[in-house]
Amino acid sequence: MHATAQQPKVLILASEACAYPGANAVGQAHQAYSDHAYILRAPSPALFPPQFYLDCLDQGFAGIIIMSCGVECPYEGAYQVLAQRVDQAYQLMKTRGLDLRRLRLTAICTVCNRAFLNEVNQMTRLADEIGPARDAETAQAA
Amino acid sequence: MSQDRPNNHPEPKVGVYVCHCGGNISDQVDVEQVARQAAGLPGVTAARHYSFMCSDPGQQMILEDLTSGRVDRVVVASCAPALHETTFREVLRRAGLNPYLYEHANIREQVSWVHHGPGATAKATALVAAATAKARELAPLMPIRVAATRHATVIGGGVAGLTAALDLAARGVEVALVETTPFLGGNLALLDRTFPTNEAAADLLTGLARRVLAQERISLYTCARLTGFSGYVGDFHLSLSQAPPRDDETLERLARFGEPGPECQPFRGVLPVAPPNAERRIELNTGAVVLATGFRHYQPPEGEYGYRQSSRVLTLPEFIALMAAIPAGQPLAFEGSPVASLALVHCVGSRQIPGIHEPPPGRELNQHCSRVCCTASLQAAGEARERFPETTIYELYRDIRSYGRGHEDYYLKASRSGVVFARFNPEDPPRVEADDSGDNPLKVTVKDTILAGEELELGVDLVVLAVGMEPGPVAELTQLMKLPQGADGFLQEVHPKLRPVELASGGLFLAGTCQAPMDVGEAASAAAAAAVKAAGLVTRGQVELEPFVATVDLARCDGCGDCVAACLREGALTLIETAAGQKARVEPALCLGCGVCVAACPAEAIQVAGWSLPQFRAMVQAIAQSGAEQGGQA
Repeated sequence: MHATAQQPKVLILASEACAYPGANAVGQAHQAYSDHAYILRAPSPALFPPQFYLDCLDQGFAGIIIMSCGVECPYEGAYQVLAQRVDQAYQLMKTRGLDLRRLRLTAICTVCNRAFLNEVNQMTRLADEIGPARDAETAQAA
Repeated sequence: MSQDRPNNHPEPKVGVYVCHCGGNISDQVDVEQVARQAAGLPGVTAARHYSFMCSDPGQQMILEDLTSGRVDRVVVASCAPALHETTFREVLRRAGLNPYLYEHANIREQVSWVHHGPGATAKATALVAAATAKARELAPLMPIRVAATRHATVIGGGVAGLTAALDLAARGVEVALVETTPFLGGNLALLDRTFPTNEAAADLLTGLARRVLAQERISLYTCARLTGFSGYVGDFHLSLSQAPPRDDETLERLARFGEPGPECQPFRGVLPVAPPNAERRIELNTGAVVLATGFRHYQPPEGEYGYRQSSRVLTLPEFIALMAAIPAGQPLAFEGSPVASLALVHCVGSRQIPGIHEPPPGRELNQHCSRVCCTASLQAAGEARERFPETTIYELYRDIRSYGRGHEDYYLKASRSGVVFARFNPEDPPRVEADDSGDNPLKVTVKDTILAGEELELGVDLVVLAVGMEPGPVAELTQLMKLPQGADGFLQEVHPKLRPVELASGGLFLAGTCQAPMDVGEAASAAAAAAVKAAGLVTRGQVELEPFVATVDLARCDGCGDCVAACLREGALTLIETAAGQKARVEPALCLGCGVCVAACPAEAIQVAGWSLPQFRAMVQAIAQSGAEQGGQA
């Protein structure tokens, strides 16, 4: 579980109302997951423009999980906007030839411990398998 | 304990404070190393670690750095921000600084409680670096002040709701008391006597209802349910829908009442006013909402301990009602025949174990302890032995949890009065079946662990199931008001010790068993606490809202209107004419702070204060770079 220089990082953008307390609930239950998954809270991930996700991949992250509140979102309509923006991000990723599995939109509630762990475990496994996006692009260019 | 650097840094000057949280963090994270690494980050002028940063000495350490000028913004790395973000912002305020020059790194719930060894320290270091990077980008913010309506709404007319309404009104607050049924009293009305005082539940409720009906500041809405909810702390807008009762059970119960009034009818409740005879919609402006929606008893599915397969298997509330209906001096009887023996089974619908118990379709197991059913069973057993000494009583239990003041006396009384106790393992629960011998209607077989697992066969006339407490039917309400629920389905407070009656959304409070299983006294205490909190909020005249709303950089804004089109809240964003042309303007009290407008702006001219894109970019960069300089060990 220990991050090393070889272990690619995963960024989790968690909604403040649902997914972030959900991640804390996982902590309260002492349920372990990879220590190269980093969680940042945001009022709603809908605030990130599509390019933001690509910039994060360019910084060296191997994968990004957007953990929203889904239909439980306290900002009515924000989830639908978020879904559209993630679609736009996928379009940008396609034009760059980036593996679309690197970006994942999910809904995690305050007590979704199993779902949280499932998502993190899947993405960290993928990250270990395919490495940081920028490394993959560099290899492709070479 | 500290790694101070010379105080010759240009602004900003960030202080980093790493908490051990006793050993909660430091057992897994090398806090000294985290502080040492933080001391080397750009802009950091002090980096310290301490056993409990939230303690008085911990806060004093931060305060001294702030007042000495060594630091002018603060990062605390400790538990989840929901617990102590406010605590540490207050330290900045006490030092005369803007409280929003603060950032929190969550290294307990998201590090030491989920990771171990060097990886935990590496991740904590990265999160501190990210928080520090954001702290450098922070700007002072001013809270938004809005007028608070001197009015509170209490949802639920049980003992907690009645208590909260009365306590609010006593503090000069106008109160709307909303109850979905025509009755007041909730589950308390379905009991006989309360422990530990043995007062009659009906007498308690009559007293409360009398005071509520006499209180001019309380407006009572029965047969009413919440259909609309909007606004913010201090100024919520509620829509209520009031309708005549139509379901058979309520109509049957109503038929047994005479004129409305405060008198509580045992096992029926209070009919305070006549039910409405037509539908109507009610709009309320209210400053705070107290949720007192109560609980419901676990209903065993058919077949659980023979429930519904034999009419002689009752729940504890049904048995209490049965005893109450028997005149003094008469023997215990059921369906016309005497009850010579009965078995009480504990933990029915409580402390359920995955793999042993089956959840009802579409529902979760009740893994929680309902806390009060042990004492309720002991009270019922003791009363039965006292009133019906000819009846033999067996209590079949997993554990006896008579935890409250005076509750142990019920155990002693039951024990001394000849109640026979047998302890069973949940893996091997008692079996209830028809008694083929014909000696008794039912036979209960139980392996008593106290007797080394000896199997006992008990011939009984009745089986009583001590059913647990479940969350009330609040799905509609939680959806409408976006209320958080715990894994057990009860409404969840911000923190069980530090903010025990508050929900995370400002202006919403919890009273009684909607939050967790509790007895009548505890429910009343929680209601009183919620009322004081709500009154303290709405009687101030104005409420301070967090300043995390959209802000427009007028120099960057070209007035394209994309943000206005994206905005989810009508009126929160508008375009106005200025001397420099058309610009976006935010109405702070209406802005939700969701940030949907941020991503819509092609010029990045609009940001959510405290959550700006440059701040996020700084955090992302800090995490991405963390570890690279230490060969992956961060």
